[in-house]
Amino acid sequence: MSRVLLILLILFRGASRTLLPSLVGLLAALSAPQARAATALDEAAERYRAHLIEDIGRTLAGTQRMRDCMKTNDLACAKKAWIEARVGWERSEVFTSGFVPELDQEIDAWPNATQGFHGVEARLFGAGRTDARDETEALIARLEELSAQLRTIPLAPQRLLNGMARLAFEVGGNKADGGESRLSGTSLNDMQSNADGIELAYRVIFADAISAGDAKLADAVRASVERLKVAVKISELKSLDGEKLRADSEELVTLLQIAAPKIGLAKPTLEETAQ
Amino acid sequence: MNIRLTLCVATLGLIAVLPLRDAQPFPLNGNDTTLPAGTELNEEALERPRELFHTEAFGGKKSYLVNLGDVAFHSPGILGGAAKQAAISCGTCHVNGAGNGKLFVPGLSTRPGNFDTTSLLFNPKTYDAQLNPVRIPSLRGARYLAPYGNDGRIASLREFVRNVIVNEFAGPEPSPAIVDAIVAYLNDIDFLPNPRIGAGGRLAAQATPSERRGETLFFKQFRKQANLSCAGCHMPTGAFVDHRQHDVGSGGLFKTPTLVNANFNAPYFHDGRYGSYDEVVEHFDRIFDLGYSEQDKKDLVAYLGAVGDADRPFERDNVALRMKEVDDFSSILLLAIPARDAQVVSMVATTVGAELRELAERIPDHKNTSVEGGLEERRAARNAVKELVLNLRRIEIAAQAGDFDKAEAEYQAFSNQTFIVVPSLLKKAQAWTLFNSGVSNAHYGAMRQMLQSSSGQASSGQGR
Repeated sequence: MSRVLLILLILFRGASRTLLPSLVGLLAALSAPQARAATALDEAAERYRAHLIEDIGRTLAGTQRMRDCMKTNDLACAKKAWIEARVGWERSEVFTSGFVPELDQEIDAWPNATQGFHGVEARLFGAGRTDARDETEALIARLEELSAQLRTIPLAPQRLLNGMARLAFEVGGNKADGGESRLSGTSLNDMQSNADGIELAYRVIFADAISAGDAKLADAVRASVERLKVAVKISELKSLDGEKLRADSEELVTLLQIAAPKIGLAKPTLEETAQ
Repeated sequence: MNIRLTLCVATLGLIAVLPLRDAQPFPLNGNDTTLPAGTELNEEALERPRELFHTEAFGGKKSYLVNLGDVAFHSPGILGGAAKQAAISCGTCHVNGAGNGKLFVPGLSTRPGNFDTTSLLFNPKTYDAQLNPVRIPSLRGARYLAPYGNDGRIASLREFVRNVIVNEFAGPEPSPAIVDAIVAYLNDIDFLPNPRIGAGGRLAAQATPSERRGETLFFKQFRKQANLSCAGCHMPTGAFVDHRQHDVGSGGLFKTPTLVNANFNAPYFHDGRYGSYDEVVEHFDRIFDLGYSEQDKKDLVAYLGAVGDADRPFERDNVALRMKEVDDFSSILLLAIPARDAQVVSMVATTVGAELRELAERIPDHKNTSVEGGLEERRAARNAVKELVLNLRRIEIAAQAGDFDKAEAEYQAFSNQTFIVVPSLLKKAQAWTLFNSGVSNAHYGAMRQMLQSSSGQASSGQGR
């Protein structure tokens, strides 16, 4: 019975939204503290942009080095460049999956033996060959495209928070099967870079705003981010305490969901769904 | 596809009953896994053994204890060592309470479906310096099949369960309540009905002439030892067992295995040495000098195929089945939260959360190139399932903090979502998920292609 009422309520809310003018929303947006928070967050997001540009720049440089290594058939050199290129990419996942999903698919398709990072990984680490020039050129082209977009793409704080929550959740996933980069054996590096990326986004974009509204909550989030970093700071994937990592990951997302309304944002989604 | 299994199935005349197309093995790879590279857990199979609960078969509802036992059975947390590390549980080997004829762990298995329980990998304290794998038994009808273990060394199912947890898989001493629950769960798993056998374990009216001749042979005294017959040990009035150990020339004394639903229990014998009834019948003919003609052997195999059959042995995995399990498992919280049982709340929240995470992984995200279309539906379903995971985490956090009112409220929110909203989002997305055989084949095909590019040597990473 209560479920029926709930559904009716949802339907009514939906109807009222279309009937009433958007006056209510407008007033809410103009209310002073929220507006201030929004401005501060927008400014913080711009500061984050500089970090993103730097990380993707490093990734691009890594793939270009990888191409040069391939030209001389230097497998060890190409593998090293691949691993280095991944660092900036994985740090940027707070941004990539939500803001540029199509480029994300082309650059980091999974599972796929023919394109993107993992296509090249299969050649270098799986087959032990350097003949992945075409795939590497395509990868470089996509990363250049991304670099260009990064200069101007609007960085809505809400979507950055969504991306952070999503990535924090993803880090807690079961890696017993070897994880994402199993041919290169660098799934753990991916997770470490993800955790670094989460910390970076939190520190640069959200920490001050949350701290201003609720210092205790800000401490809790900071400690939670730190726990996530510690959980993946291990020497090999085999020694990962998966259950602990999962708990850390989910606690962080839970805290982010509590923090969101305090900085004038909606509860972060765990997928970039139509909101 | 497992060729031996296919042959066995063909021999039994069951072609087109088993939809094996989707059941392609998909071994682990890379050197980052706890289990050896080449390990096959067969977790990707879309056709799963059907699990029939005694309570449900008679129109009832599974009890708290049965559900709790089922959760514990699927919780890696009750095990220890490599099992916990690799996130495998009792349910990995005993899929839906049956067996796992495809499970293979290099170094521990000599063929798919058997496994050495005394190895260095899972508990060094049990290591006996020999490769002596035993077949993974089906647990259907376990309550009729005492004593336990392939040589029947343990009389009590409860003691057997504890031994598996603590000794075979290095788990911590389980609480008596958890062992009770697992036993309640196992005791509720029924044999699947088999319309081909009637009262007294005799063939039903529709049996073929060959099956009837096989049945006669089954009851006939052995020509050299008149005190023996197949039926003497595999007693048809019971579960085709006599609860005793015998030496049938397989290397010692072993418990008589059940023939009920045995078509789906290959490989056969205590060590899983035989893949088909043909080989089993050959063995007995040889050891006991039965003097069977080729026709006799065919007839006996036909009879075994009738006795070992089952009504709908497999069911197609789908989102509805997954959500039913989530409902059943989480229903434990209805009692555990008011009882302020933080330990049980934690186990249920953790285990169901892990299953929901696994469910979300079966809905490909935007990076997955093996599926096109339905991106919005997939995202909505993934988002909803992940929200359930967080909901369970909040229940767990509240219970750990002793705030059972909050846990109760969170459970209400959880069951409101699992009632209609999430199942309908999942249903809308299902066509683009790994529950669709086309998507599943494309996805695992791409995985296989990626991993087969490996020359077998993955280089090690550079953890900081």
